[in-house]
Amino acid sequence: MQHIKPGILDRELKKGSAELLILSLVEDQPRHGYDLSKLIEARSGGVLKFRVASLYPLLYRLEKRGWIQGRWIEKAGQRRRRYYRLTPSGARVLASQRSTWREFAEAISRIAGVEHA
Amino acid sequence: MPEWPRQLNQEMRQHLDDEYAALRAGGASHDEAMRELAIDVEEARAATPMADLGGDLRYAVRSLRQHPGFTAVVLATLALGIGANAAIFSVVNAVLLRPLPYEGADRIVVLWGDLHRPGVNEIPASAGEYVDYRDRSHAFDHIAVYDTAGFNLVGGGEPERVDGAIVTASLFPLLGASAQIGRTFLAAEEQPGRNDVAVIGHALWTRRFGANPEIVGQVVSIDGRPTEVVGVMPPRFQFPDPAIEIWKPLLLDADAVSSDNRGSHGYTALARLRPGVTLAQAQADLSSVTATFKAEHPLNYRTGFSVALRPLQAEIVGDTGRPLLILLGAVALVLLIACANVSNLLLARAASRRREIALRTALGASRGRLVRQLLTESVLVAAAGGIAGLVLAWWGVDLLIALAPGTIPRLREVTLDARVVLFTALVSLATGLVFGIVPALRASGPSPGEALKEGGRSGDGAMLGRAGRALVVSEVALSLVLLVGAGLLVHSFARVQNVEPGFDAGGLLTLRLSLPESRYTTFEQGDRFFDALFAALRARPDVESVAAANVLPFSGNNGSRTFHIEGQEPKRPEDQPEEQLRIVTDGYFQTMKVPIVKGRELTGRDRLGAPRVALVNEALARKHFADGRAIGRRVAFSRNDPQWYEIVGIVGNIKHRGLDAADRPELYVPYRQPLFANWTVRPMQVVVRTAGDPLAAAAMVRREIARLDPEQPISDVRTMDQRIGRSLESRRFNMILLTAFAALALALAAIGIYGIIAYAVTERTHEIGVRLALGAQRRDVLSMIVAQGMAMTAAGAAIGVVSALVVTRLMSSLLFGISAADPVTFAAIPLLLAAVAFVACYVPARRATRVDPLVALRTE
Repeated sequence: MQHIKPGILDRELKKGSAELLILSLVEDQPRHGYDLSKLIEARSGGVLKFRVASLYPLLYRLEKRGWIQGRWIEKAGQRRRRYYRLTPSGARVLASQRSTWREFAEAISRIAGVEHA
Repeated sequence: MPEWPRQLNQEMRQHLDDEYAALRAGGASHDEAMRELAIDVEEARAATPMADLGGDLRYAVRSLRQHPGFTAVVLATLALGIGANAAIFSVVNAVLLRPLPYEGADRIVVLWGDLHRPGVNEIPASAGEYVDYRDRSHAFDHIAVYDTAGFNLVGGGEPERVDGAIVTASLFPLLGASAQIGRTFLAAEEQPGRNDVAVIGHALWTRRFGANPEIVGQVVSIDGRPTEVVGVMPPRFQFPDPAIEIWKPLLLDADAVSSDNRGSHGYTALARLRPGVTLAQAQADLSSVTATFKAEHPLNYRTGFSVALRPLQAEIVGDTGRPLLILLGAVALVLLIACANVSNLLLARAASRRREIALRTALGASRGRLVRQLLTESVLVAAAGGIAGLVLAWWGVDLLIALAPGTIPRLREVTLDARVVLFTALVSLATGLVFGIVPALRASGPSPGEALKEGGRSGDGAMLGRAGRALVVSEVALSLVLLVGAGLLVHSFARVQNVEPGFDAGGLLTLRLSLPESRYTTFEQGDRFFDALFAALRARPDVESVAAANVLPFSGNNGSRTFHIEGQEPKRPEDQPEEQLRIVTDGYFQTMKVPIVKGRELTGRDRLGAPRVALVNEALARKHFADGRAIGRRVAFSRNDPQWYEIVGIVGNIKHRGLDAADRPELYVPYRQPLFANWTVRPMQVVVRTAGDPLAAAAMVRREIARLDPEQPISDVRTMDQRIGRSLESRRFNMILLTAFAALALALAAIGIYGIIAYAVTERTHEIGVRLALGAQRRDVLSMIVAQGMAMTAAGAAIGVVSALVVTRLMSSLLFGISAADPVTFAAIPLLLAAVAFVACYVPARRATRVDPLVALRTE
């Protein structure tokens, strides 16, 4: 891994996986944008980080495709936020992307001998 | 919480708020937090689509202000292009488009007698014909005739020669004009005894009479006759041209309208169509009138005589329309080239904006939306360029008027009026769309995602590449067309200037002298004046010789007459010869240095009482004396009781109307052997050959004339060289303007070539570095880059040459001595263009050779 510049890896992985990440994160419960960006950063141990100008366009695109749906919700003691939840068609895409990703990761690990976590 | 840019969408603002709060909670100061968020804010702002036109505009203004260098270059290019268009259009507008400043000007027509042969298709009307048109036609509200004249005005200051016109009383109502003070003429004032009245122009009134309203009713001396001023015209009134300052009534007495004078075709006839009457109906009406009077006066009309109507506007514009439209076309081409340059700049900039555009596409901006935003930006620049262009045009118009020849009519009316402003606005809008559309389509084009992924770096070269190269090729082609056009005019001008006028113009002083018939009632009185004047002048050491003629070459006047050749009576009356007639004093040919080809010059002995003599030029001898033996033959000017003039000499041809005019047959008659009995001395043009500077002698000549007759004004004092220069004015004007536009076009094209090569060099730095690292010679790199530019130039030049061959045909009437496909011009211009293009390629290519391979490779 040291032979590839971290920046490039970040960009490529993010590009390929961004949709999968977001769909996964809203699978269990609706989440808002800031929440999503913090979760991605935290769960990836700081390796993956979305910028504002990339995250919201992506959310917009996913919503437009009908995979997620956003709603303004006001919770007590908090400001109004837009929460996104997974739609049925989003769930199907998520399932298919997950299996693709898994197959891809397994293939890579078989060849490169990276240990399966 | 900090203030985020207003137009960010709410989610982004909330996100930034949350992040800011988190940073502050983590112990960061406000400034640290803001620094941390700066990139996010900037990116978010760039990615936010505008909702409306106002947003588009705000965004455009900001984006332009962020790149002041780019904006300045674009603005300057556009201001020059649009300004030149506005200036030329303002002339076209005043001369060709704006209605004449007369009421219902579109219904005013000019009447010309027409014999349907070259040279005799614009026959003015006679007084008798005018009366018939007036009394027998039904298609017109008013009919009027006029003739221009010069008047000697005495009283209220120095004697002055003033341009004027003799008009029928109907002229003023026909033009819808009335006097500012007093009145215009009454029909009764066309009768003898009542006609010593005058209307004066506003400028003359202020200049000479101190704008005194009491002038109306006062008596001044015009041509030696006491004349009552009955009215002053308003300042805007000018007819038939701006120089006219005195109007006098035309005398329509029994003699003027008699059958004898029916052939005196001296008046320009105007008419105003009745409302609802078409040109064709009026033409039919007039045809029946002419048929009637031809039948009544069969001896006065040759077969085929008819009358044609032409709109006054077309009459005034004449043949100045075409050169103006060519110039307008030329500036339009310059603007197109400017557009191509700006397009290229935008393409280069669009390359660096790909990431911004990609972000906005990702945010959901449709391609149409993005194109609209980008076009808003270019139209905004174009509008700013248009405003700057109008300011330039404001000055440019003054420059144009100063440069313009007096032959362009209505120049005083040239202003930046509402129509010019509207034209400029439309041109600016169109300009913005034209130069903006290609970059906008390219920039908003396919796969913005690619750019996001790539970080907006590669692919730019290709984007500028094909579109940019096509733009440069078309710039080269367009500028070649302009250069060829300018080259043809320059080449023609050089040819015209080299034409020999047939006399020696250097050292000649000319002036006009009009002895009023009221004080010089007989020929002898006038003759004595000229004798005394010539004797006084010849006695001066600075005068070599002096002579006079009824019309001098390059005076703008000419006059033809029918004549009879003894023993060559034509079978049909319409075949009777009619040629240019000059009435000259003895010594005329010596003074002008016109060569005597055969025979002799006129002498002082050629006067009344001696046998009448005449001279002809070579063109007339060749045309009418096919056997080559003109000398000894005789001509006469009337059939009944002919006075025969024997041809005693043949002189060289001279240019009369202009250096570019064909040699016309001319007949010279001594002024002391008048054509008719009781002839008085007509206005004469005096020509003095001086030993030194002719203009320096002008004051002396003026003094000598004043000494002989203190009331005698002179006018039109000019050297012959000035007259010849004036005859070249319109040619020079067209040449200078077209050359200036072509030079501008060439400069723009060179900038375009330079820009795209410089850009290509930057783009290919890496590749060049690799080549150099792999052992390529710097010379090879240089020639590779230059070859790329020259290939574009060659393609553009090829297209340009073909287009020029088509386009320059439109201007063949402006050329002289060369064809529109002049091989010299068509060979020289592409070479000139190639040389300029080479420099434009070479400079950036040199930079490419200085690439350090190591540095170039590291930059990736």
